[in-house]
Amino acid sequence: MADALITASGLTRFYDSGELKVAALDGVDLSIERGAYVVLAGRSGSGKTTLLNMLGGLDRPDSGALSIADQDLLSMSATDRAGFRLHHLGFVFQSYNLIRVLSARENVAYVLQLQGMDKKQRFALADQWLAKVELSGFENRRPDQMSGGQQQRVAVARALAANPDLVLADEPTANLDSHTGESLMALMRKLNEEQGTTFVIASHDPAVIASARTLITMQDGQISSVKVM
Amino acid sequence: MDHLSIYLKLGWRNLWLHPMRTILTVAALAIGIAALSFLSAMDDGWMQQIKTNFALTMTGHIQIHAEGFEDSRKLAQRMNAPEQVMNVIADMDGVRAVSQRVRVSGLASSAGANAGALIYGVEPDAEQGVSRLSTFIATGAWLPTGDKRAAVLGDGLADRLSISIGDKLVLMAAVPGGDIASEVFRVRGMIHSGVMDVDDMSVIVPLTSAQHWLSLGHGVTDIVIRADSFEQVSALAGQMKSALAGRGVEVLRWFDIDPMAQQWADFAEAYTWIVLLIVIIVVLAEVLNTMLMSMHERVREFGLMGALGVQPSQIFAMVVWETVILVLIGGVSGFVIGGGLSLFYGERGIDLSQFAIAFSFMYMDPVIHPLLRADSVLRILGASLFGAMIAGLIPAWKAARLEPASALREL
Ligand SMILES: Nc1ncnc2c1ncn2[C@@H]1O[C@H](COP(=O)(O)OP(=O)(O)O)[C@@H](O)[C@H]1O
Ligand SMILES: [Mg+2]
Repeated sequence: MADALITASGLTRFYDSGELKVAALDGVDLSIERGAYVVLAGRSGSGKTTLLNMLGGLDRPDSGALSIADQDLLSMSATDRAGFRLHHLGFVFQSYNLIRVLSARENVAYVLQLQGMDKKQRFALADQWLAKVELSGFENRRPDQMSGGQQQRVAVARALAANPDLVLADEPTANLDSHTGESLMALMRKLNEEQGTTFVIASHDPAVIASARTLITMQDGQISSVKVM
Repeated sequence: MDHLSIYLKLGWRNLWLHPMRTILTVAALAIGIAALSFLSAMDDGWMQQIKTNFALTMTGHIQIHAEGFEDSRKLAQRMNAPEQVMNVIADMDGVRAVSQRVRVSGLASSAGANAGALIYGVEPDAEQGVSRLSTFIATGAWLPTGDKRAAVLGDGLADRLSISIGDKLVLMAAVPGGDIASEVFRVRGMIHSGVMDVDDMSVIVPLTSAQHWLSLGHGVTDIVIRADSFEQVSALAGQMKSALAGRGVEVLRWFDIDPMAQQWADFAEAYTWIVLLIVIIVVLAEVLNTMLMSMHERVREFGLMGALGVQPSQIFAMVVWETVILVLIGGVSGFVIGGGLSLFYGERGIDLSQFAIAFSFMYMDPVIHPLLRADSVLRILGASLFGAMIAGLIPAWKAARLEPASALREL
């Protein structure tokens, strides 16, 4: 436990589904170091998205404790959590990751603008990151003018350009063909190694699981195994 | 400023994501605002006309009397030294013309008939500066200068007296002491103003003859003032009031004199508020629906923005701005159309004589000239933006309070 970026203990989250209370998360203890590249595996409904939303401050547990980058996420107000996400976290979702009416460059620059960067700087940085994800020449394309794989790479560029402590990705390859999915994972893994950014990726895609440096498997809202590859 | 630019950019582009929907909304808004601006300009033009006709037919913009005359109408309450008042007010800024009158009610008799009459002694020349009476001459002529026995009377009254140009007319009234005095005049002209009170009741004679007949010396009952414009009336009256304080006079504005005129003004005011209320309702009805539809389609995008760290307050502001842009495009197009129509018909006039004959007894002309007033335009613009705000607040509040986690689960 050299340098823990994430420490969670006893994370529990219930959902009401009709009469029943379902524990989507059932006492999860977790510790992830800075620079880790973690894949959360497990079948559909096992609680991957619920856990990822907790880590991203998008949802709150019914009980448990959670700190990221030495900050107690559960004691923050909604406004503070939004600020925390802006400055410390990056997200890549399964699909519809981008704001429809903004170009690739503007999508990347938007977060930088929210962080307070001036126009020239943020556009330059956006172009730099689009080049890193091999999208030079696509800066002015709108999402509907790009393929699914290209859109996911814009999302990766947006997440990384903001210089976060942690990137959370939920099923990032689910809507991609296997070849495109593999190259997206290769890109994320490369960025993890080059930039030292911590990644936590939820997926049941074998290609994603194969790229893991740490593989955490979930079952019925609990962690059933942790493997360092 | 940087944030405003992104709100405007996002708002503008989101509106054009569904160009047809936006165009329909903008068109509906434009038509509504155009119609309402035009109606409002008609109302303003109409009001202006009624005010002008009322003030210029007889009353003038401002009248000065001896204190209490407006209530008593007794000659005993007169200004015996009107020139002192004249000296104070004649050169004030905003005074276009001033004239003196004697006003008394009495009896008018022809060879064969009697009728009650409102008798006005006027200065034949100066009167033309403060009222339009001389322009209403239908037969004969206005009081000829120097003709001491000349009388002009309303055509309705002339009918009742079966009197014609050149006939003798005997006027009788109570003088200040209580005695009755009479005087003989000769009919020189008849007026038709369209205003019943004037046409059926009034007799106009030279001021000096009336003063002599009624033993008033130089005394008058009314000093009538015409201002350069209606806008100046209240300020000017206030100025006169303070300049004449302590001299035992009352200073009345045109709408103090006839409560009917005040009611018209109140009615026009109420009408204005109704128009503004309709503006707000039109904007709400057109825009709220469009914005709610648009919000509904973008739930996931708001969730995404929330996840990226956009504050709820920023999402709120973004949606409000989007609504304001929508209303501004529709509203401004509406103003251009409605304003253009108002200007065009303001020049030409809209002839309503086919629809109504009885207009003029209410001081209305059958031809209406819409009037584009800056304050009305600004009020309508304000009401549109107010409507836009309300129409924007509801969807903005909905969007801002979405939970990113659940919003993101929607597809
Ligand atoms: N908003 C919700 N309302 C009710 N039940 C939910 C909700 N979100 C998730 N669940 C339930 O929680 C469990 C875990 O879901 P989830 O975290 O999405 O799993 P995974 O991402 O691994 O597929 C499932 O049983 C799911 O049905
Ligand atoms: Mg999931």
